Amino acid sequence: MQDPRLRLLSVILLTTATFLSLPGAILSVLWLLLYPASLKDAVRSTGFWFLVIMTGIIAIVISLSGTGGISYFVRITVIFLLAFTVYRGWTPGEYLDLSVWLFGTRTGFDLGLAIEMSLQGLKEAAADWSRMMVALKLKGVRPDFRVVPAIGVLLLQTRLMRARDQADLLVTRGYEVGGSCCPEFRTAKKDILASVLAGTVLFLAVFPVRDVFILQM
Amino acid sequence: MDLVLDQITKRYGGFSLSATGTFPPGVHLISGRVGSGKSTLSQIAAGVLDPDSGRVSYTGINRRTLSLQYPEYHVTGSSLAGEASSYGVEPGPALSKAGLDGQDARDPLSLSRGELKRFHLACLSLRDWDLLILDEPFSALDCQEKRRQCRAIEQNCRGIVLVFTHEQHILPRTDYLWEINDGRLDFLGSLPDAVRTWRSPPAPLKQLRDRGVIPANLTEEDLLEAACRTRD
Repeated sequence: MQDPRLRLLSVILLTTATFLSLPGAILSVLWLLLYPASLKDAVRSTGFWFLVIMTGIIAIVISLSGTGGISYFVRITVIFLLAFTVYRGWTPGEYLDLSVWLFGTRTGFDLGLAIEMSLQGLKEAAADWSRMMVALKLKGVRPDFRVVPAIGVLLLQTRLMRARDQADLLVTRGYEVGGSCCPEFRTAKKDILASVLAGTVLFLAVFPVRDVFILQM
Repeated sequence: MDLVLDQITKRYGGFSLSATGTFPPGVHLISGRVGSGKSTLSQIAAGVLDPDSGRVSYTGINRRTLSLQYPEYHVTGSSLAGEASSYGVEPGPALSKAGLDGQDARDPLSLSRGELKRFHLACLSLRDWDLLILDEPFSALDCQEKRRQCRAIEQNCRGIVLVFTHEQHILPRTDYLWEINDGRLDFLGSLPDAVRTWRSPPAPLKQLRDRGVIPANLTEEDLLEAACRTRD
């Protein structure tokens, strides 16, 4: 989806639909099939499967203590799937544009800048992590709990160093508050169609089909 | 003993890298612009990154390692002594070689990147490697230290040494020259003839080549000798 405004709208609609009902979650998965490449990338992510397993454990606990464990598992898994798919579709600068479009060049710019820097930080931390795993492999060290403190400190220190550099850079460039940004968006016909479908998914999740159509034998 | 890259391909983010070649013992310099795929190829050659297709084979190579461009990624110890031990070397000689005598208890992450790089390379140099792969070994080092590292590479070369770098001024004595261009690894040949077909040589070497002068090798001394040469 090219237009980040419609993407955000669709995600809000689909997440709400998924959260509200199981049919909403199933319809959201069908909606995701409109973007098979991003969906494929999301499913391949180790982080996604880690969260699915964690959700599964919580769902088992819920099932043992009452009912609704399966529904909880499906709905939360689909919300994670939506999050990972949308994250894969992000391109640098997009949220700055979106935030400025929504809230203006003062608050919107600051908010957008914070979002962009956070997302960039996440990407960099993931790259740092994979390089650290390579280094451990080269030293013949198994990545078990004993190296967690060292890796944790290293990741944190690397992030803090980069944050300091970025802060220095912003100050050097004269940043105080807000900034100028002229957002431009490209809207494909498929984006509009997908947004309408996302709205339909929410509608069907709130108002079950049997309430909309007269289904009588 | 050799390393063979057999029709290796790797794709990422719209970029494609391909490599085929045999690396016998000696110093191999693999040059290429920033972003040309050197780090990716170095990881594939070290066996820590799988190619999309093709095969990497090691004949007679039992001990191999890779030095990543940024030394902080290698840190697993909370002190320099612990860090040296994690490489399987005695802390004393490693600290001494890196000019950090008596700083056994110091936190590795409190060093500057240049100091950490020096310490990391010192640790690697204290072990024997059949295949030593160095990704940008001169980054973060000053000129004096770059020269020292060049001498260390030349003196410690008992197996295959792959030096991936875009360094343009201070280079080690090299046996074989390779270049990554347009996502493809090209073998240019042995020195000195290989410099004739080097597409992106260091500026001083290019000037010499344009004058029809080919240095014996890539070291500063070789370039100086070639520049001052009065007859062939």
